[in-house]
Parts: sequence; structure tokens; C-alpha cells
Amino acid sequence: MKKEKKQFSRRDFFKTGAILVGGVAASAFLSSVNGVLIAGEPSKKRGKWYGIGIDINKCIGCGKCAAACKNENNIIKEPFYFRSWVEQYTIKNDGTVKVESPNGGIDGFTQSIPDEEIFKSFFVPKMCNHCSKSPCTQVCPVGATFETSEGVVLIDPNYCIGCGYCIQACPYGCRYKNPETGTADKCTLCFHRLDKGLQPACFEICPTQARIYGDLNDPQSNINYFLKNHNCMVIKPNLNTGSKLFYNALTPEVR
Amino acid sequence: MPLHIKRLVFTFVGLLVFFIILQQILKPHSFGVQGHFREDAIKENTQRALQYAGKANCTKCHDSIHAEKKEGYHSTLNCEVCHGPGLKHAQYAQMFEGKELPDSLTLIKPNERKDCAICHQRNAARIKILFDTIDNTMIHQIDAMEHNLISKKTKKERRCIDCHNPHQP
Repeated sequence: MKKEKKQFSRRDFFKTGAILVGGVAASAFLSSVNGVLIAGEPSKKRGKWYGIGIDINKCIGCGKCAAACKNENNIIKEPFYFRSWVEQYTIKNDGTVKVESPNGGIDGFTQSIPDEEIFKSFFVPKMCNHCSKSPCTQVCPVGATFETSEGVVLIDPNYCIGCGYCIQACPYGCRYKNPETGTADKCTLCFHRLDKGLQPACFEICPTQARIYGDLNDPQSNINYFLKNHNCMVIKPNLNTGSKLFYNALTPEVR
Repeated sequence: MPLHIKRLVFTFVGLLVFFIILQQILKPHSFGVQGHFREDAIKENTQRALQYAGKANCTKCHDSIHAEKKEGYHSTLNCEVCHGPGLKHAQYAQMFEGKELPDSLTLIKPNERKDCAICHQRNAARIKILFDTIDNTMIHQIDAMEHNLISKKTKKERRCIDCHNPHQP
């Protein structure tokens, strides 16, 4: 019987080599075209790269942040249109969870469940997560929403066609359609205030300093101090949105 | 080259040129400089009007209240938490020093029971919250609609500020 010998000829060597080199070159070329891969990385490692920290243990649910946001950004004073709002989560003794947010918390909260039934209750302030792989900017068909080099997700109201695609894409419900202009609208981390060296309105107004923002690239910044000292978590980490809003004392009930 | 292929090539080249010209006309200025968006939109986002002045601006004139407040429990609160946005108020005061403020620029003075209740109404979610103030106490929780509502002397309804100074509660 003839013994079959596996031979690796010179021809095979060149063939495999060419395939490997070609494959690496092609994938290197493709990676620069792949929008999802680009969005995953901060566009620069130096310079500002904003992150936000919220301490749930400190929030007293006064809703002043939601009111301040509406004042600063001239948002319609009607429920349903919020860039920043507060939710009260109440976990009852039987394990069910009740979430309430009357007018975003602006008028204050009244306890709707008697004390005996409550296992745990806490306030969660919500706002745009300013994701680094934001689903909302990826779906925009016209390039009207984008991430700046500082890591802030902004909208170009003059270019938005109001299709509402991004509103559906945001897993945190942080976008709404402005009924006056018909375009999508969202938290800008008070970009106009940041630009002038001022704090965003909700951070300025928080009476218990439950909110912190800062430069994630700067190891000495507030936000890095906050992240080191607390057990922080983002909402829906499984979605891999690259959220930059970190909560202290976040529980799995919060969605 | 056969004539019909030549015609086809000309048509395609013509369409391509037309497309490039059209794109150049329709594409907004500064689109695609930093990414798939208008670079000018960043600048436009920074040009919106401000509303909140910040604590430093308030203390320029109201320094006595600031000094009073920093001794009390409300030391961590900025003025605009209760009094509302005050940049226009501050700007007017700076521009026309000593002049009377028009009514539209006077800031709100929340002095009803419900205004204090926004933070101090008893709520299960609020009870155990510590906050960094002079002695790290818990936030004071009361039933705002019942707490010492009727004055024993005058038999009339009282407001919170009749007993507590909001700047130094």
C-alpha cells in the first residue's frame, strides 16, 4: 500500500502565506470602515472625555434637577418631555417593584405605598448616558446626531429630519421629539455651559451633591475619584452601549 | 469599441459627474470634517442662552445671606435651588447698579408649606439618607402638611418659615 505523505510544498507555503497576509491586510482595511468598531473607542485618549457619576444613596428625590433642566433648556413645561428626570423605585415585601415618576419628580414625590409593605425604596435620577457606542447615533440616517471629541452626544437640530429612529434606538428612553420644532431632542450635558466653564444645570442645582461629572481621561478628576471610591455600575451593561453614566448603589431592578 | 457600449460609458460618466456636482451643492458646509455630521453643529450647541448664574454670582451682592447660610444645615445648597434661575437677574443688577429690579426679574421666594415639602416631606426612600453637611445628619423628615400646622397662640395656620429661617433652619 502506498503511504500517503502529507507534504507541505513550497507552492503550499506561498499559497497559505499569501492568504494570511491578504486576510490581515483586508481586515485592517475593513476595521477602519466598520462604524461600530470606530464608535467603541474614544476618539482620543488625551483631552476631555466626560463621564457622569450619580450617587443613588444621596438622592433625596426633590426633582430640582428635572426642573432646572427644563428651565435651562427651555423645554415645554408639560409631562412627557424630559431630558433629566427622577424615578422612585419601591420594592415591596412580596418582591414586586413599583416605579413611579409623577411629572418627572418636579412636583415632589408622595409615598403611595404604606410603610409596612415596603422592603426598600430609593430614588434614581435619570438622564442621557452619553454612551461611547451610542445606539442612537448609529441609527441616524442623515448624520444629525453625533458624539463630540469630548464624549458628549449632541443633536444638530438644523439637520434632523425628525424621523424618530433614534428615539426608538435609545435603550434608556432619553430622547423625545420636541413638539415645537418636530426634531429629536435630548440632554446635551449643558454643552453651552461646559463650553463657558460652568457646571451643567442639574449638577449646579443638586442640593445633596448626588451628581458628579468630570473628565475620565484625567486621573485626578472628581469622576475618577468617585469611581474609585464607590461600587459603580451602568444601567443595562449587557447592551454594550459604552454608557458613561455610572451609578453608585445601583440595583438590578433599575431599568 | 462598439457604438452602443460607447454610449453607455458616456451616459455613466455623465451621471457620475452630475452626482458629484449635486453632492457638492447639497452637502452642507463643514459636513464630514470630524465625522458624519456638521462640524458647525458643535458651535451652534454652545451658543444657546444660559439661565443659571451659579452661586459665585449670587454671593457678589448677597454676601450677608451667604455668610448666614454657610453656618447652617442648608450650607450645601446653591441659591438657585430654591430661588430659581437667576442669570438675567444677576446681569441686570450688574449692568444697572443700584437701580430697582423690574418685577419680571425678581426671583421667586418659595415660602409655602409645599415648597419645603419637596425635600422634607416624609418618604420611605428619603429616611436613611445621610448628607455631607456640618454634622453629617440625616435629612430632616416631617409630615409637612401636619407638622405644627396650627399656632397655639393665634389659632391660625402657620407656614414653615414662620418658625424656621430657610437660610439657617
